[in-house]
Amino acid sequence: MTASRRVIMRSLLTLPATFTAACTAAPHDSASGGAFAEVYRGRWIQGIAQAQGPPRLFIDHRPLHLMRCADGGYVTPLDHYQSSPTPLEAARTAVDALGTAQLSRWAAVHGGGGERGAHGVHA
Amino acid sequence: MVYTRKDVGDLSKAERRRFINAVLELKRSGEYDEFVRVHIDYYVADGEDRLRLAHMAPSFLPWHRKFLLEFERALRAIDSSVTVPYWDWTRDRTADSTLWRDDFMGGTGRRGDRRVMSGPFAHAEGRWRVRYAMTDGDFLTRNLGRPDDPLSLPTRRQVDRVMRQTVYDVAPWNSTSRSGFRNRLEGWGAGEGDDRFLIHNRVHRWVGGHMLGGASVNDPVFWLNHSYVDLLWSRWQRHHPRAGYLPSTPPPPGDPQHERVAAREQPMGPWGVTPAQMLSHARIYRYR
Repeated sequence: MTASRRVIMRSLLTLPATFTAACTAAPHDSASGGAFAEVYRGRWIQGIAQAQGPPRLFIDHRPLHLMRCADGGYVTPLDHYQSSPTPLEAARTAVDALGTAQLSRWAAVHGGGGERGAHGVHA
Repeated sequence: MVYTRKDVGDLSKAERRRFINAVLELKRSGEYDEFVRVHIDYYVADGEDRLRLAHMAPSFLPWHRKFLLEFERALRAIDSSVTVPYWDWTRDRTADSTLWRDDFMGGTGRRGDRRVMSGPFAHAEGRWRVRYAMTDGDFLTRNLGRPDDPLSLPTRRQVDRVMRQTVYDVAPWNSTSRSGFRNRLEGWGAGEGDDRFLIHNRVHRWVGGHMLGGASVNDPVFWLNHSYVDLLWSRWQRHHPRAGYLPSTPPPPGDPQHERVAAREQPMGPWGVTPAQMLSHARIYRYR
């Protein structure tokens, strides 16, 4: 497990700076980049547009990793089995899975290992 | 010496106790949480333009076979009599099953925060603090059968349909593959609502809580589900002896799956083994 631990540590050390930046996030603009902000089941869910790709997700100002699926939908680390048609729906699905909990810092990024997987450092 | 993986329902009281004790010892040593982290780190969805090995990919089955073998090796270093039992959810279909008794997996989570309150993995027992998860609580969560909106576990008939698939996997080698044993067994359905969650995926959904997300390994029932998934793969291999792992060669440049899936002879992280090396377990373990 030593090699994998090293890889994981590397990926965890690159936790995005947005984890702290989230609290001072810019006002949302619902007209561009898939941005949104709403209260869903008592949670403040927010998508902040990026220069490219889908918006960055936040639940109660904590960042939530978003991944794209081949079916055109999106999944988050809270629920890997529900591909949601939009980032907003993915955020709502994550709130459904959260229950009364808050996101941990691990929810901001996951799936780092595969990036370097079969053809990289693991080989 | 080939060892045997058994149905959880066939374990003796002593076997149940020894399995749980070995798992608790692995947790105490910190090694268990390394397995949790590997699984978190290897989750890559299939719309991402990068390599994915553990899910939504042909190597779903060999990757998890190796993952279970590593876990089992760690358990057996603690107690050489222990193997990873399997949960046949086509038979053990309710939260009343002996699987969920307090001397084994413990029960469902309470309302609200879904905290597991009974059994060896209950927070109050003090031996199962969740360390790496997507939520901030350090207690294990479950929502068995999702009572507020019930869904059922996969049935024997559904499994039989999967077992009739004649090829291992098909392009585009992801969750949208329309046929092939791997995607059917992994359980990415094309329907609506709960029909979208089949076989393996549906079991994760039925257990709920941590089992829904990237940190599913925090729930030890993860291993029991994957032991049964591995048994089904093993049985399918026996019934279809000429249906080898696919893709046999890497998708070439220009193919949308180029460098995004592991072909038969390509190494899978974090161990570096290839799918080809994982195709037979006959010299290591057998199922009863």
